[in-house]
Amino acid sequence: MKISSCMKRNVVSIPITETILEAAKIIVKKHIGLLPVVNEAGNPVGVIGLGDLLTLELPDFVNFLPDVDFVHDFGAVEDTRPPAKALNQTVETLMLPPITVDEDSGLLRTYALMLQHHLHDIPVVSREGKLVGISSRVDIGVAILSTWQKAD
Amino acid sequence: MTIFIGVITTAIFLGSLILIFTEKLHRSITAIAAAVLMVVFGRVFGFYSEQAALEAIDFNTLGLLLGMMTLVAMLEPTGFFEYLAVLAARSSKGKPMRLFVLLGVITTVLSMFLPNVTTIVLIAPITILISEILGVSTVPYLVAEALLSNTGGVATLIGDPPNLLIGSAAGFSFNDFLIYSLPIVLISWAGALILLRYLFRKELSRRPKNVEAVMQLNPTESLNDPRTARRVLIVLGGAILFFFLHHALQISPAFVAMSAAAMALVLVRPDLEEMLRKIEWSVLIFFGALFIMIGGIEAAGVLETATRLIERVSSIPPVLFGIAVIWIVAGLSAVVDNVPITIALIPVIQRLGASGMDVTPLWWALAFGAGFGGNGTIVGSTVNIVVAELSQRTRTPITSEIWNKRGLPVMLVTCAIASVMYAVFYQLF
Repeated sequence: MKISSCMKRNVVSIPITETILEAAKIIVKKHIGLLPVVNEAGNPVGVIGLGDLLTLELPDFVNFLPDVDFVHDFGAVEDTRPPAKALNQTVETLMLPPITVDEDSGLLRTYALMLQHHLHDIPVVSREGKLVGISSRVDIGVAILSTWQKAD
Repeated sequence: MTIFIGVITTAIFLGSLILIFTEKLHRSITAIAAAVLMVVFGRVFGFYSEQAALEAIDFNTLGLLLGMMTLVAMLEPTGFFEYLAVLAARSSKGKPMRLFVLLGVITTVLSMFLPNVTTIVLIAPITILISEILGVSTVPYLVAEALLSNTGGVATLIGDPPNLLIGSAAGFSFNDFLIYSLPIVLISWAGALILLRYLFRKELSRRPKNVEAVMQLNPTESLNDPRTARRVLIVLGGAILFFFLHHALQISPAFVAMSAAAMALVLVRPDLEEMLRKIEWSVLIFFGALFIMIGGIEAAGVLETATRLIERVSSIPPVLFGIAVIWIVAGLSAVVDNVPITIALIPVIQRLGASGMDVTPLWWALAFGAGFGGNGTIVGSTVNIVVAELSQRTRTPITSEIWNKRGLPVMLVTCAIASVMYAVFYQLF
């Protein structure tokens, strides 16, 4: 089975010139985890993940400490918001290089790619490099598992 | 020819100092390259053999560092450092001034017996956590921890790398440091704390809003592995006891530290590979390579020339000479790492001693200058660099400007207190 059979085709994306705040708005409105960033030609040039946006708010001590199990209440940290200056920068400053798959890529190959790069969602591109869809671990996983039932 | 050798060895030394200072190259890489260059020139011109290079390495210093690093590496994952800081946070009841003093005291006591950098690396993240939860600036706490641990470390033989080097070169025991250095350091430390409370009075007078959140931190919960913590602490306590006795028992501090490390390893039986990764090998390499480099300079006779120059000016009264050493070394340590400075000055003082001068007071002057001087600038000691780097990742980064307003006054006051006490008690040294 090809990835093109289990991807969402109406992909939401954001132009590279938009701000981080705008990216957050789209993610909230569409309730999605990954937002591809596209250039003028519509080619994906990066991705903004929900997690990347949250790191702007998550204090770094979480990364310094071996564990935060003993911290029952984050106190003042819960009320912190990223500074407006950070939110008004363009998405280009925060986006990561896109890891994409071709639309005729196999399901297991795509799943392995996502595992190795710790991805939850993966943009799908056409042969010409245009963004044509996006697929999640659940989309791919369910598609793979459904073949088990057919074999019965 | 001798002048040529002198010029080359001095150039290698100064060149590596510049690279260490500008951080163009990792300081351990610089030191290895300089050590190798020194041996190459030593072999070519016949002033420094491989054998002499090996003999120049002070294995007492390396062994003591390695032993203590091993103990800390085993203590670190137990959550003992988090435990202490959480305890301080709770006993402070969220009062900034009290928290400030408690964290300062804990960091100082730890850094008197454990490597300073490790202490700070372990205590700073939990300090950031506590002040972020309280919703107050991390700057006063981090800056004070760095300055007070630099100051407190001067008090003991194992508190500070320059002390290890000085103790080893001058033959000072652990107790010598407690008798001659600790009293002066205690008063200077108290002066530094009072000054810091004054300098940070504005930040520390603000009442934090989220005291309840800090009171919910549970110290026992932060201690993940009380069994291991207890074992390592007992061994550490035993090691400190033997440090008091090492002179009487005629054993080296390195032997005590390595024995303690071996004992803790047997008791705890940690995942060795993982534990070894926590040891700061780059520091050990840096020291080893520096010893080889300085050994080369000494063999080339450069220091003899320097010593002769000093002898000419040493017609001034010895007390003033000692105080001058404190301030000159402090000034140098504020801008360059105090370890290379100490290693470079040790043979100079040894030669002055060989020429009949009473150099015991000079050793102490060197210890005070090297220890207190590191507070002066943000790059003055590794500890300062560590807290500054960690603070870059908080909402209130420590800038060089902030450091100059807090660290420099602390350096000046501690050096002044040390100078006065040095002069008053000069006869006792």
